[in-house]
This record gives sequence, structure tokens and C-alpha cells, in this order.
Amino acid sequence: MFRGKGEPLCRKVLGMLSEYIDNRLSTENKSLVERHLQTCETCSKELGSLRMTVQLLHRVPEVPVPRSFTVTVPAPSHESAFGPASLRWLRPATAVATIVLVVLLVSDFLNVFGHEAGIRGGEFLNMPTGQTMLLSTPTGEGNLTATADELTKAIPAPTQAGGGNVTEGNNTEGNASAQVFMAGISGMQGPEGPPSIAGQEAVGWPLRQIEIAVGVVVLALATLTVFAVRQRRKGVSVR
Amino acid sequence: MDEQELVSRSKSGDVEAFNLLVEQYQRLVYNLALRMLGNSEAAEDASQDTFLSAYKAIGKFRGGSFKSWVLRIAANSCHDKLRVARRYRVVSLDTLLLEIDELPQANNTESPEDYTLRRELGRFLNEGLAHLPEDQRLVVILSDVQGLSYEEVAQATGSSLGTVKSRLNRGRTRLRDFLLKREELLPSKFRLNK
Repeated sequence: MFRGKGEPLCRKVLGMLSEYIDNRLSTENKSLVERHLQTCETCSKELGSLRMTVQLLHRVPEVPVPRSFTVTVPAPSHESAFGPASLRWLRPATAVATIVLVVLLVSDFLNVFGHEAGIRGGEFLNMPTGQTMLLSTPTGEGNLTATADELTKAIPAPTQAGGGNVTEGNNTEGNASAQVFMAGISGMQGPEGPPSIAGQEAVGWPLRQIEIAVGVVVLALATLTVFAVRQRRKGVSVR
Repeated sequence: MDEQELVSRSKSGDVEAFNLLVEQYQRLVYNLALRMLGNSEAAEDASQDTFLSAYKAIGKFRGGSFKSWVLRIAANSCHDKLRVARRYRVVSLDTLLLEIDELPQANNTESPEDYTLRRELGRFLNEGLAHLPEDQRLVVILSDVQGLSYEEVAQATGSSLGTVKSRLNRGRTRLRDFLLKREELLPSKFRLNK
């Protein structure tokens, strides 16, 4: 190796040889290098080997491309209704639907809508005396009817209902919770098992159905959003 | 149609205009990637990534040399691939080097001996380039293999002119030292100490 040999001037010249080869030195530095090279054999050899290296690098052959790298974009007519452009409305729609679902679930959990487990809203508790309610077995057979008085009688005392709660309320005809009611009518057996209240789902707010419907909407929107994002990524590709 | 117009039309979404630019620079980009990565498959991936990124980012191109801009994207793509290869230790660069074996016959008049000589020389230089640190290798390839000016190299690497000069000087010196150590393997007409 030649590097490291010589005087400080050699080191300075060695640092400028690359630019000298490329003819990028100022006139002043160029003449400095040329004057030094006339007297310093080591630096001259260094220049020769460096110049040969650069010449060899110029001879590195260019390799042809194995294939074309041109890009292709699908024509707009091929774009589906839920293509990349639909992301503008899909994202906010998914967000809104998700927020609605969360609000519904939290409200349900906190019982904001007065929803009791099993029976909606205690409607039958407000049923006027004399009005009948249709009760049915789980199979739909052996339907039977009951008046408000009968229902009230069917509700056992709180202590008999296995600790069932009695709701504090202002209704004098049926001041009991749905849980107590269910415990009470369990003795009114139809042909095939205990009766349930027919039209139970139609009574009060169908919160569960709303939750399920919103959940399905959220899932559908999220799926479409993922699809649209993938479409956008695929949108530009290499041929 | 000149380059400025092609760039302008590409910015307004004209894919055909952009593809004319791709055809103009794909050889340069692929060769840079091949020398940087030493592997044809990885070079293809890097070239593909480069032009896809360039197409997506063409709106942000603020003028100047499109060649330097696209080479900068290519250099970044190569750095990313090398970083991933290092992290997962997929395969060493020395191994990859052996895969560069695509040298075409220059012309019909080239003798088989000359072709072999040229091929051996190319292989030897590739090996030398692979032994350079990444930043020096990039500058040496851009300047000495692809013939870019210092200014273009500075733009393509996002470095100052002084940094380019320094890296080029160190890269050439290191490569020269590598070749000197293995001079007996070089064809006699290419020996450095003649």
C-alpha cells in the first residue's frame, strides 16, 4: 500500500487525487498536485493505481433489464362501487356505526332504556284490571290467557320467589318485577313446559334486535372498508 | 415529447407518460439495484418498488432532475432491502455476488476469450464493490459505473457535494486496495501495478 507514506503534503495530495482524476480541482489545487506528482514517486504510483481502478469501474458492463417495470392502473370502468374512491364515505360511516353500536351496548349494560332481563318494560304490570294477556308454551302449543288479576295472584310473595326483587313503583295492580313474575307463573304449566309471554319481543323497545342490526351494519361496513383499502393498494401495479 | 412534459403529464395522472419515463430509466435503476444488492431477484423487487413509489409520489416532485429523483428513491429502496437482509440475515452479500451472471455478449465480433475476460473482470469488480460500505458503494456506482456528475450524485444520495467527494475518494481507495490484494487474479492487461 502507498497510503500513509510521505509527508503532510503527500497526505494532502492523496486526498485530492480522486477529484484530480475527475478534473474537478480548482486551477490552484490542480497545479499544486501536478507539481507534487513530478517530484513524488509514491503519489504518482498512487495516482496510477487509482486511475486504473476508475477505468476498470467504467468498464463494468451494464446488465439488460429482465422485464419491463412499467406501471399499470385499472381503468375507471372496472372499478367496483366499493373501490378506493368509496373510502371517502366508508370510513366515516363505519366510525359512526361503531359509535352507535358502542352507545347501544353501554346503554343496554347500564339499563338506560329501563330494559329488564327477560321481559320488556314491565308492560303487563301496567295492564288495566280485566285485560287479558296471551301466554304460551315455548313450543307455541297450549296457549292460555291470563287477566291482570290472575297474573298478580300468580306472583308469589318476595320471600317465596327465592329472593326475587319487588320493584318499588306506583302501580297498585301489579307492583312486581319481571323476574318475580316469571318465577310466579312458572307454576302455570302448559302441556309442554312453562309458559312464556306471547308477543314478548313486540312489547317495549326491541333493543337486542337493534343492537344485532347495528352490529351487522358495522361488520358489513368494516368488510367493505378493508376491501376498498386492498383495492387501493392493488390499484397501481407493475406489468 | 421532452422529459419536462412527460413529468408534467405524469403529475396529472397520465400513466402512459409516466411509463415513457420508466422505460427511459429502468435500466439505470435496475443496474444500480443489482450492484447495490448483488442479486437479480432482489434488484427486480427494488426496481419495481422504486417505480411504484415514484408513480405514487410524482405529485410531490418539485422539479429538478427526474433522473436524480428516481435514483434517490431507488437508493432508498436498496437501503431498505439491505437493512431487512441484515436484520434477518437472509443471505450474505458474498453469496449473492455469485448470482450476478447475466453479462450479455457485447457484439458479434467479440471473441469468446474477450467475453470470458470481460465477464471475469465484471465479477471481480462486483466482488470489490460488495466489500465497500453501503454509502461509499452507492457513490462509487453512481459516479464511476453509471457516470453521474458529482452534483447528480449529491442529489441522488441527498448528501452535500463535500460528502460525495469524500465518499468517492474513500470508496475508490478502498476498492483499489481490494484489487491490489488480489492482483494476481486480475487479467494481466488490467493489473494496477504495471
